[in-house]
Amino acid sequence: MDALAVKRTRKDVIFDIINMIVWVVVLLLILYPLWLILIASVSSAEAVIGGKVFIWPIDFSWVGYEAVFEHQELLNGFVNSFIYTVSGTALSVIVTMMAAYALSRKFAGKKLINLYFIFTMFFTGGLIPQFIVNRELGLYNTMTIMILINCVSIWNLMIARTFIQTSVPNELYEAAVMDGANHFTYFFRVILPLSGTIIAVLCVYYGVARWNDYFTGLVYIRDKALLPLQTVLRQLVANVKAMGQSDALFEFFGDSGTRAEIVRKAEVVKYCAIVVSSVPVILLYIFMQRFFVKGVTIGSLKG
Amino acid sequence: MEANLSVKIVGFFKKAGNAARRDWQLYALLLPAIIMVFIFCYLPMYGIQIAFRDFKAVQGITGSAWVGWKNFKDFIDSYYFVRLLSNTFLLNLFGLLWSFPIPIVFAILLNQMRGKRLKRFTQTAIYAPHFISPVVMAGMLFLFLSPNSGLVNKLIEALGGQARNFMLEEGAFRTLFVGTEVWQHAGWNTILYIATLTAIDPGLYEAATMDGATKFQKILYIDLPHLIPVIVMLLILNCGALLTSNTDKAYLMQTPGNIPKSDIIGVYVYRMGLAESAQFSYTAAIGLFTNVINFVTIVTVNWVSRRLSNIGLF
Repeated sequence: MDALAVKRTRKDVIFDIINMIVWVVVLLLILYPLWLILIASVSSAEAVIGGKVFIWPIDFSWVGYEAVFEHQELLNGFVNSFIYTVSGTALSVIVTMMAAYALSRKFAGKKLINLYFIFTMFFTGGLIPQFIVNRELGLYNTMTIMILINCVSIWNLMIARTFIQTSVPNELYEAAVMDGANHFTYFFRVILPLSGTIIAVLCVYYGVARWNDYFTGLVYIRDKALLPLQTVLRQLVANVKAMGQSDALFEFFGDSGTRAEIVRKAEVVKYCAIVVSSVPVILLYIFMQRFFVKGVTIGSLKG
Repeated sequence: MEANLSVKIVGFFKKAGNAARRDWQLYALLLPAIIMVFIFCYLPMYGIQIAFRDFKAVQGITGSAWVGWKNFKDFIDSYYFVRLLSNTFLLNLFGLLWSFPIPIVFAILLNQMRGKRLKRFTQTAIYAPHFISPVVMAGMLFLFLSPNSGLVNKLIEALGGQARNFMLEEGAFRTLFVGTEVWQHAGWNTILYIATLTAIDPGLYEAATMDGATKFQKILYIDLPHLIPVIVMLLILNCGALLTSNTDKAYLMQTPGNIPKSDIIGVYVYRMGLAESAQFSYTAAIGLFTNVINFVTIVTVNWVSRRLSNIGLF
């Protein structure tokens, strides 16, 4: 390869230079907004509102974070989201893996069951019928629905099935059966231990989807104590009301200070709340990163 | 005849019994997933009938009066019909025009990048925004575009312009929506293309180099032909989704100012069905109307593609 690299033509050199420039621009466009959130969150309210924070934090302070950690609704939302995400993801992964294993084997009625799953990818009841049915089932305003809804993603199920089909050799099954294993023991003793990659990918997909979901909370939760973090966060950062100097901020920050103070503080608090709410996902991303490309492509390319 | 039939029936049950004995463990492993999908996907389909009724909560789903196609007619006759349909379609179309080609270009350029660690770093960076929640994304828009304190307007003012409240401008909505869509997902959507490119036999590139091909020529004659099947497959998926709604994000970005453009079907259904009023049957009918169109579209697109190129989803 090196010998070839030396022989780069002039055209190739130009190509490489242009390519480099493109990527520098793209990376700046992608990373700068993230960096801006981070530095604004640790700057003073005056500097942020005055638009002075560009490259580096100005008047470094933790005031915003202190406010976030004193904010009962946000903290409560954080805990709720944690519960929903951990239990929901654990359940989703195990249910998906069990079904994925079964679908990777031959059995009577497999076509029908495949159709049963795949049909739901292309046709759904829609928001309103789903809402009404769930309410009649007594799931409205419960933790149960926050954990169970969207439990099985058919897309994830197909990825996992393909992974098992392609990366666990069938000889293992034959050998295990010779040793007296049945489907249960084979699934738990052989399939699960060999499926680390795909389990990691499923954890990220299900986990991120559940953590980032605000809409289910908006639709199904009335009780403030049960709201997930993203739904609470929406009232604070992603709302017309949150944009100007509106009363919504007062509702949020109670009576700690004058109107002007609250409006100023709220601006920094928004940045901090964004950072805090994204930390779990970022951590998950960093730890699971090495599995992505492998797991994702194995599952979907040959599918 | 009858004897024949009964033999057949007995045979079927015998077979089913054998299958149950042999495979019951597999069925047991499938059961939780089947139940979940039944509760959250199939029971709502049963609830679709409220689109043909005048649903009243006290009377329940089956107890409410049957009104036939009335809700559908009301929707088609309403002022919102054209607005919602065109808003949804155009938003998806513009989204497709930008979101679809960019990942392909990114993947090809990334594949040509020299230096393994640089490549790895770039990949990690461009995947990252994919994991940002819609709430945070919309929050960033509101913050950066704020007319008083947002960085964008500070920049405009510094250049001698007038600060504008983009989130309230109807003309800015689609640009902002599609722009953030590209920013978040263009990197992530390269994954399949990159995987395809890395699977190409390196011998092809070596042979091309021997023949004096430039990098650009290699992209044109080696990379692109290998990418075509994946491109077609993803295009089918996308074309089948031209009337679906990204309700989560559109609802977050909706303001009184941009409502003439940001009111897409999903958002309208949520607003009229659950948030602002409770027109259950009317909005269920709108939902069903679009679901059927989406279903027909994807099946048709898939069929056409099968015919033309032998590439299909199912």
